Amino acid sequence: MKRLWIAAALLGVMLAGSLTNAWYAQSMTEGFNRRLEQAQALAREEEWDRAAKITRAVYEDWQGRHFYLHTVMRHSDTDQILRSFRSVMQYLDLQEMDQYAAANADLMTQLELLAEMEQASFTNVL
Amino acid sequence: MFTGLIRTVILYLLIISGIRLMGKRQVGELEPSELVLSLIIADLASVPMQDFGIPLLTGIIPILTLLSITMILSVLTTKSVRFRTLLCGRPSIIIRDGLVDQHEMARNRLTVDELLEELRCKGYTDPSVVKYAILETNGQLSVLPYANQKPPTARQLKVSVEEGGLPLVVVSDGHLLEHNLTALGKDRRWLDKRLKERGCSGPESVFLLLVDQNGAVYLARKNEDS
Repeated sequence: MKRLWIAAALLGVMLAGSLTNAWYAQSMTEGFNRRLEQAQALAREEEWDRAAKITRAVYEDWQGRHFYLHTVMRHSDTDQILRSFRSVMQYLDLQEMDQYAAANADLMTQLELLAEMEQASFTNVL
Repeated sequence: MFTGLIRTVILYLLIISGIRLMGKRQVGELEPSELVLSLIIADLASVPMQDFGIPLLTGIIPILTLLSITMILSVLTTKSVRFRTLLCGRPSIIIRDGLVDQHEMARNRLTVDELLEELRCKGYTDPSVVKYAILETNGQLSVLPYANQKPPTARQLKVSVEEGGLPLVVVSDGHLLEHNLTALGKDRRWLDKRLKERGCSGPESVFLLLVDQNGAVYLARKNEDS
């Protein structure tokens, strides 16, 4: 009977861990996207420096979670997001509104999809 | 992670059901749950081993999930007969009183050729001499002949025979295993005498020497050219 409880506890821990991970990924990407939207609004008002500062801060936060991201997410997805961050920052430096907006929207979508992949949903299971 | 966990549970249960539906003949010597575990774990472990773009956790979580489910199933099968029957099935009597049960054969997807082959492997060519042939849950066929077809035992013949005891390896490929010699209650002098009787100069010229508890010796010399 002890083996049964150990196995059930292990399954319970993994279930709790996966749900916590889903919640963490969702809140992390929502926070990033909120700040990236704010940066885009500032860029529209020609406040390029403030927009760049916010985007850089988001990028640093992303890099600060490197260990978590590499441990849990597919490396190809995180690498793609890293490339998108670099493009967005480049367009900010060049102050190219059209291309910046397109790259920023692409980055935000990738972040959304990354979190969505981890959610405990019926569609994901199927 | 959540997706991996749930997918693993679903796939495991699906494969177990599939193996159960395929019948006992496909199982070989493993129980269905053991077969499924061995089939999947090797594959799961190899994916993150080869693809460094996948986090190690994506391999570890499904393996831990499978081991946990297997542990739960093994406890449940020891606790509940009904659950054991559901998971492992129950033995099927294929031959009863020399008559082949065609319905059971069809249910277990056992062909006539396979049945005859199994019977021949057990030393029977004629199903009519078999009292019972039972297809076990691990896929093996147990054959029980009629009492008058069984070889007589020493007890039935009222003959007294000596118990040979367990033979131990004393010399293996020229190497003397002294702990086995001591366990048999013999010493080096006894061994040298036995070797001399058989024309061997020493343990180095012996490939295999077995001695049972009655002192009976089996000796195989080393080939000259090896």
